[in-house]
Amino acid sequence: MKINTEEVEKIADLSRLNFTPEELLRFVDQFQKILTHCAQLEMLPTDDVEPTYHAFAEELTTPMREDRVGTSFSSEQALANAPDAAEEYFGVPTVIE
Amino acid sequence: MIHHLSIRELRDAILCKECSVTEVIQGFFDRIDQHEEKIGAFLSVDYESALAQAELLDRKLARGEAGDGLLTGIPLGIKDNIVTEGVKTTCGSRILENYIPPYDATVIRKLKKNGAIVVGKTNCDEFAMGSSTENSAYFTTQNPRDLERVPGGSSGGSAAAVAALEVPGALGSDTGGSIRQPAAFCGVVGLKPTYGRVSRYGLVAFASSLDQIGPLANNVGDVALLLRAIAGSDARDSTSVKRPVEDYLKDLGKDICGFKIGIPIEWFTSGLDPQIEQAVRRALKVLEGLGCSVQEIHLPHTEYAISTYYIIAPAEASSNLARYDGVKYGYRGSDDTNLEDMFRSTRSQAFGEEVKRRIMIGNYALSAGYHDAYFMKASKVRTLLKRDYLEAFKEVDFLVGPTTPSLPFKLGEKKTNPLEMYLMDVYTVTANLTGIPGLAMPCGFSQEGLPIGLQIQAPHFEEAKLLRFAYGLEAELSIQHPPLVLDR
Repeated sequence: MKINTEEVEKIADLSRLNFTPEELLRFVDQFQKILTHCAQLEMLPTDDVEPTYHAFAEELTTPMREDRVGTSFSSEQALANAPDAAEEYFGVPTVIE
Repeated sequence: MIHHLSIRELRDAILCKECSVTEVIQGFFDRIDQHEEKIGAFLSVDYESALAQAELLDRKLARGEAGDGLLTGIPLGIKDNIVTEGVKTTCGSRILENYIPPYDATVIRKLKKNGAIVVGKTNCDEFAMGSSTENSAYFTTQNPRDLERVPGGSSGGSAAAVAALEVPGALGSDTGGSIRQPAAFCGVVGLKPTYGRVSRYGLVAFASSLDQIGPLANNVGDVALLLRAIAGSDARDSTSVKRPVEDYLKDLGKDICGFKIGIPIEWFTSGLDPQIEQAVRRALKVLEGLGCSVQEIHLPHTEYAISTYYIIAPAEASSNLARYDGVKYGYRGSDDTNLEDMFRSTRSQAFGEEVKRRIMIGNYALSAGYHDAYFMKASKVRTLLKRDYLEAFKEVDFLVGPTTPSLPFKLGEKKTNPLEMYLMDVYTVTANLTGIPGLAMPCGFSQEGLPIGLQIQAPHFEEAKLLRFAYGLEAELSIQHPPLVLDR
């Protein structure tokens, strides 16, 4: 599969990443190499194969517990690492003008 | 020389009052002070807190308390992607350069409960993405066996710290080989447990269906002890498995006669360094001498493992790393525009190149139009890989082979070629994709004096048997480690 600059730009946009034109070119090249390697999977017939998303699905059950009130982080603790916070809120740039 | 003692020897010395916890901690700090500049294994070392904990333990021991922990007074290094309350946890990334977690990971709680003392956070590839620790945003770590070479990765700091005897043991994380590969490169023992055996609560997520925390130490017995301390189900990790934790030390030293060993012929191809092949085959002869049977076995989908892994792991990573947006914690980029641009500048400025590459590959593999061709296809091939292993383990108890295709490479040698770096993981990724445990241990040294790692893989939850087997092999091999360059 051939990949072009526009496609890489689109993925960069979805990923919320900015690249300089030089970085973008380098990415296109590396992308191409990696995807060419991964293209070998196309050769394998897998029509009747179920996908595995978890190595251990057989043992996995949804763990249930009683709904009890417990202790949690305080607002101060939860906000302590925030680059910007005021009162009980995270601070961000203007969302709606 | 305190730093030459094993974890079990140190613990016994402390409990028999041959030395105090403070002496042990100070002994390892002296070693760190002496060599850390050359090795660069630690991102941070917490002298004050460790010595305060040591004094507290000494006072308790003097009163006859605190002697029941599995790891009383043992100093440990912790990979910097495992959160530690009140201690900076960066994941080797600029984006978390100031992050001070408000809680301990479950493994840290368990270690502390057992009397262990965390002395520092070890260097790693950014968000555990890499095979050389060169992707750390802070500095590179040198291999204590050859300072011009990489320690492996991503848990390179943990492996180097253990190999340099700066700590007797450490924790790492393994998503595609990140414990086993650096263990092999540095000549130490490293174990990736079965997926679900150890709680991932507090392990900063890279690829959630593959990540697993595990121990590194200088011998199999210490690894068994560390696993015993950290294993178990956890209400805070719904993927941890409710099976009782075995006493992994109980069977160490029992004979290993009669075990059936499979050698996957797909592992012994032209890409394998002849010196590694020779050392592994020598170990297989030793195992035959101990009464094990050795047979060739097929893992027919091995050649597809790297492709499968490098679609699934980045796909999961791209989702997990979406949380770094400059709002809740960590670095924030330009603040004077709108929200969307703030996200972009934060992520563009503070993620390193390899992390960006994997986010991009992951989002590509998951995006409309490519999801079926890449992510779905890889998830189906994952099923085929799992079947290969289930079939193999019907015939044999263990699979034995190399940990890596090549010897530790020079710093900078593979940094510009991501695909070549990915191919380093060819023997390790399958254990993560299938969830089985894998252990790397030294089986010899190359002509240049570089460590060679043997890998043993076992069926799900067979850690006790795996450790017994590795312990038996270790005793019989009795590898003579050449003196470290640091000590010459």
